[in-house]
Amino acid sequence: MNPNLIPSLDAAGLPGPPDLFHVLLVFTFFLHLLFMNLTLGGTLLAAVAHHLGGGRGGDHRAVLAARLMAINTYGISLTISTGVAPLLFIQLLYQQYFYSATILLAWVWLSLLALLTLGYYAAYLYKFRGLPARGGGGGLWLAASALMFLLVAAIHVAVHLVSVQPERWAGLADGAWSVLADPSYLPRLLHFVLAGLGFAALVATWWAVRRAREGVEVELNTAIAAWAWRWVLWTTLLQVVDGFVLLFLLPQAVMRGLMLGGAATLVPLALAILLGLGLLMMVARTTDPVGQPALVGGTLAAMLLAIAVMSITRHQLRALYLAPFTAGAEPTVVPQWGNFLLFAVLLVAGLATVALMLRRVLASPASGAEAA
Amino acid sequence: MDYPIWDVALGGGMLMAIVAIPHVIVAHFAIGGGLLIAVTETLAVRRSDFELRELARRSSLMLILVSTVFGAISGVGIWVVAGLISPAAISALIHTYVWGWAIEWVFFILEIVAALVYYATWDRISKPAHLLVGWLYVVGAVMSLVVINGIITFMLTPGEWLASGAFWDGFFNPTFWPSLVLRTGIALMMATAFMVFVALRASAECREALLRYLGWWLVAGCVVAYAGYRWWEAVLPDTVRNLFRGAEPALAQLAATRSFALWSLTGALLLGLLVLVLAPRLARVATAAGLALAAFAFFGGYERLREGVRKPFLIHSHLFSNGLLVSAIPALNESGLAVRSGWVARGGEDEAQLGRALFRAQCSSCHTLDGYQSIRRALPSRADLSALAAAEDAAQAMRVFRSECAACHPGVGAEEMRGMLPSTDELRQDPEMIADLNHGMITATLLELRDMGEAFTAAPRGAMVNTAPLFSPYMPPFVGSDDELEALAVYLASLDRGDEPKPTRNGKLS
Repeated sequence: MNPNLIPSLDAAGLPGPPDLFHVLLVFTFFLHLLFMNLTLGGTLLAAVAHHLGGGRGGDHRAVLAARLMAINTYGISLTISTGVAPLLFIQLLYQQYFYSATILLAWVWLSLLALLTLGYYAAYLYKFRGLPARGGGGGLWLAASALMFLLVAAIHVAVHLVSVQPERWAGLADGAWSVLADPSYLPRLLHFVLAGLGFAALVATWWAVRRAREGVEVELNTAIAAWAWRWVLWTTLLQVVDGFVLLFLLPQAVMRGLMLGGAATLVPLALAILLGLGLLMMVARTTDPVGQPALVGGTLAAMLLAIAVMSITRHQLRALYLAPFTAGAEPTVVPQWGNFLLFAVLLVAGLATVALMLRRVLASPASGAEAA
Repeated sequence: MDYPIWDVALGGGMLMAIVAIPHVIVAHFAIGGGLLIAVTETLAVRRSDFELRELARRSSLMLILVSTVFGAISGVGIWVVAGLISPAAISALIHTYVWGWAIEWVFFILEIVAALVYYATWDRISKPAHLLVGWLYVVGAVMSLVVINGIITFMLTPGEWLASGAFWDGFFNPTFWPSLVLRTGIALMMATAFMVFVALRASAECREALLRYLGWWLVAGCVVAYAGYRWWEAVLPDTVRNLFRGAEPALAQLAATRSFALWSLTGALLLGLLVLVLAPRLARVATAAGLALAAFAFFGGYERLREGVRKPFLIHSHLFSNGLLVSAIPALNESGLAVRSGWVARGGEDEAQLGRALFRAQCSSCHTLDGYQSIRRALPSRADLSALAAAEDAAQAMRVFRSECAACHPGVGAEEMRGMLPSTDELRQDPEMIADLNHGMITATLLELRDMGEAFTAAPRGAMVNTAPLFSPYMPPFVGSDDELEALAVYLASLDRGDEPKPTRNGKLS
């Protein structure tokens, strides 16, 4: 009789060195995070802004809500599209942990599909029927969309926590909801929500500042920038606190691994902490973002860097959680370098094509009979 | 087989169908629709045809709402469901073709971005720039199809890959090109099926011309799909084709599915010719719905056939649908499954509990207890055997004989079989006799299923296994030790008395 609940490694092996797939997993997850932050944080922020703005067309918060959701109906598509690649690579590298976790939370995991679909179409319903300019309706659709995406985030956090703690699977098999009792569950969920809110607010600020500096609806864009900037400030402050809470809630072995991992783990962690504190200082320096566009641009760049660095730390934490179970279980490697090369070339060519297409589109404005 | 098992009353296969069928319809619409919209806009620009342009514009809204929203989510949904119901199987597929999927993802990104830009830039950018975006969408969508087609066809006809294990041997497998032609035709059919609804909303004076235009596309789609289908059928290995073709197909149900699919295609073609090409004034929402249904029915029928002839494999002759590798059969028969799987081992020493764990690990990817493909209904029951022994109702006795006995006792008639059973008096004196008989029948079936494993193992590597002559061509073999076989028999026999071990909360194994 086998007491080990962890399924065996896939007999097919890996078609490339594990490190290559780890890099691809982190890189594509980072891409996914950018759009995910806009989707989750942007929709939550839009729901709050719409509510506070009373759904009125003239209110700066209601306009912000409409702006965020105009982006989000496209952003949600890109969130899902960019999410496909990390989902692929995690199934490749951690299949026995990932699938086991999703099976233990099967209905919850499956409900993700329904929640995504509902959240997505609710966002479109808000866009088409609920824009403030069209009479102030649609708040309910927006709130529903925000709720759905919040639940999707909650499910992802739960699955992640289960996947990295195989020692808890036997208990979870009889009651998967106990994962919610994990002390790090709520801080971890909050970490994602705050990151989303902060990033979406910062992007909204950056855009409003840009428009105001171009002389477009200066008063309105200045009000939007000031309001969104306050959200950047408060969410960053809370994020720093929550980040430390999360750090201290790590199991001892994981914390030890993080601290004793040398430069590989300490540099990204230290950088993440420094960037968090630095962001807080940058944001706190001004209440007039329109007057300091360089500061806003710098803050946005710093936040992008922070997200990239946190993606690395998050990946390292998963490896440390699973270290006792993966030790000595190396997958066989049967490299397919030709296929990797083909993928790399196509990835570069694909991204270049997208960039050239967008450039051509931006360079080809037209109206009336000349327009498509 | 060493993963935890999710008990889903609906049945894993049914759940997959619920997610996958709408996805493939939408995904093929995304490809054919993209092509048709790009062609339509190109023609509209060349001819300065406002109505054609409107057809393209309105269809593009449907394209992004249906394909970039529902298509993207349901595409992820297929992985989600596959991971829940057949984790080892989908893991094996991903490990084999991860670079294929990674490449497909690149084209998918191009497709999604182009679709969103295309829709968002109507009336805002120049015509050439807009057309460029539309055609880039077509490139992304068609290349996605090419890649996914390679992986899907590999699952049914792995070809040289079985011997070489080489990526491209499996990708450009025997059914790759026919399937690509077939799916191109299907994509055009799906596109017209959706776009007809858009054309019906055009102004009265232009509606007929637009419908006739779409009608020709539909006819082309039907013809291409039919050619692709016949080509696909022709290149299938004899052992696979004979499952549903010939005077006595091994799987009559699949032969019926084939007929259904081809008649549906004929229906779609006739409807398209009549209502769209010849008499577009007859076109209504109801006829458009009928046309869409016929097209979906053909597509659904073909997919059902393709999945059906692949059973019991996920990757033909290599990996069974329950995650069992052909190469792992001897070792698992030697050691038993509980030694390899902690989740099966949780069944413990109790025979019925261990049997239940084995059932869940080996059978539940296809069978539920009482829902889809109910195992309880598939097993012989004591009531049936009693009816056969008593023979008070001749028709019922014959039905029981046919369903429960004839397959294993081909040379024995119903009367002779009845003579082999205990008499009614004997059963009255010892009611347990019928339970023992039931248990014995189940054990005999499991032994046959385990013997099938030897046939799979003995088959030459590198060639596709002919499943038709096997005891149960649809099923994977049973694997496990003698004790495990007995435990599974005890559990299955217990189902008849309605006292199977009860699941704990959440349906999980206690």
